[in-house]
Amino acid sequence: MNPIYLFFHKTGSPPWFYKYSGKLIPWLWALFLALTIYGLYLGLFVAPADYQQGESVRIMYLHVPTAWMSMMIYGLMAIMGFIALVWRIRIMEVLVISSAPIGAAFTIIALITGSLWGRPTWGTYWVWDARLTSELVLLFLYFGVIALYNAFDEPRKAARAASLMSIVGAINLPIIYFSVEWWNTLHQGSSMGSDGPGIHPSMLLPLLLMATATKFYYGANLLTRARLCLLKQDHRKRWVQDLLSKESN
Amino acid sequence: MSHTPFILAAYLIGAVVLFWAAIAPVISKRSLLRQLKNRQARMEKSQ
Amino acid sequence: MSRQATGTAFVALLRRDFLLAYRRRAELLQPLVFLLVVVTLFPLGVGPSPALLANIAPGVIWIAALLATVLSLDSLFRSDFEDGTLEQMVLSGQSLALIALARTVAHWLVAGLPIVLLSPLLAMWMNLPDEGLLILIESLAIGTPVLSLIGAIGGALTVSLKRGGQLLSLLVFPLYVPLLILATSAVSAAVVDLPYTGQLGLMTAGLIASLTLAPFATAAALKLSLS
Repeated sequence: MNPIYLFFHKTGSPPWFYKYSGKLIPWLWALFLALTIYGLYLGLFVAPADYQQGESVRIMYLHVPTAWMSMMIYGLMAIMGFIALVWRIRIMEVLVISSAPIGAAFTIIALITGSLWGRPTWGTYWVWDARLTSELVLLFLYFGVIALYNAFDEPRKAARAASLMSIVGAINLPIIYFSVEWWNTLHQGSSMGSDGPGIHPSMLLPLLLMATATKFYYGANLLTRARLCLLKQDHRKRWVQDLLSKESN
Repeated sequence: MSHTPFILAAYLIGAVVLFWAAIAPVISKRSLLRQLKNRQARMEKSQ
Repeated sequence: MSRQATGTAFVALLRRDFLLAYRRRAELLQPLVFLLVVVTLFPLGVGPSPALLANIAPGVIWIAALLATVLSLDSLFRSDFEDGTLEQMVLSGQSLALIALARTVAHWLVAGLPIVLLSPLLAMWMNLPDEGLLILIESLAIGTPVLSLIGAIGGALTVSLKRGGQLLSLLVFPLYVPLLILATSAVSAAVVDLPYTGQLGLMTAGLIASLTLAPFATAAALKLSLS
């Protein structure tokens, strides 16, 4: 049998997924920690302060990667949700619903760090600029998907509903973003968060390191949550029973 | 105005949220496994 | 399925929805009364200063329209779901998207169009300058169908849930944000004699897009809720 087809077929099997993702998770955490420590060291201690913004620019190393992740995860949820709906692959359903809380967490961090960045730099905790407003709407989209999932009794039906909602939300997300950006140019005077002539390489490296680190965080956390979800759904099945008896011995 | 409290607050809150998001499924899983094992032990005892 | 049969089915569904709506017309008035009450609350809350009211008029009227629409959306599919009619519709073999569209059209005619018709009254209460009135009506005429179309997706997703109504508002409000922004901007621009056709054009594009895409999403959601 075609090895690629075989691989995908195997990952669709819960016990196989459970076992091998379990092996992968520690490595993902290790990479996350390594990249974060190095990235934060560079960002907080080595990289220079910004000419205009001063020290507060160091918040960027947390704010920007988390904002990127908040959007990337929603996009991934839509793609995985599409696969889950069309091909009825249960693992995809599990991955969609496991991603949502992680995406929401990143969004909350992006909002709070953005707010804290704004106060010393531009004088105010909150402003209805394009990015913060879109990020807030994104948070509501996440809450909607999570609430929708929790409202159903049957987990597979709930996951499919959440997948559909993710797709609808993802299609709307660019529209929301551009409409808010356009609305913002009408209302605000000073441009906030202008990047200037381009980012200095000594700042770019820690930024990219943190951005990569967050991807490993997502991977590790996603697989952890997905395994938990599979255990919950399959707790009557044989493979879980075997796992339990193996663990207690 | 010193920027340091803001930077500290930002990273502290970020760390707390990320840590909690990472820990929550681990705690859930442990309690789930405990529950399932208890249930399995009870079923085996009654047989 | 022959084209004639599909057309006949569409008309039949519309007729049925109107008959049902007529029978519970008291229930249908509630969202509209809600609309009037909400708009009335604003002058009471922020003070009757004409300048202030005129300033916030487009936003207030549009937000009230959003809230009233969401109220009326919850019952869009619910009664048919509860008595099994919805299941029969899914099994009938007719295009489910067309059925969804028929229901959405009926909803707009019964819940959205009245908002458009009430808007001059709301404009008067909120002291909206005359230059803005026509654009307000236009923006509502283009926008309320979009509210119905997108709202139907949410309604279909939540129809099988016990307290789906609350969840419905959480789900659709983020999706309504672009419409709100464009519509209120168009009206505000018209009031100060700035161009507004761009906004209306984008809203029309949104209407066409939702008209072609939303019924399919609604159909998928209905199938999901019934499964």
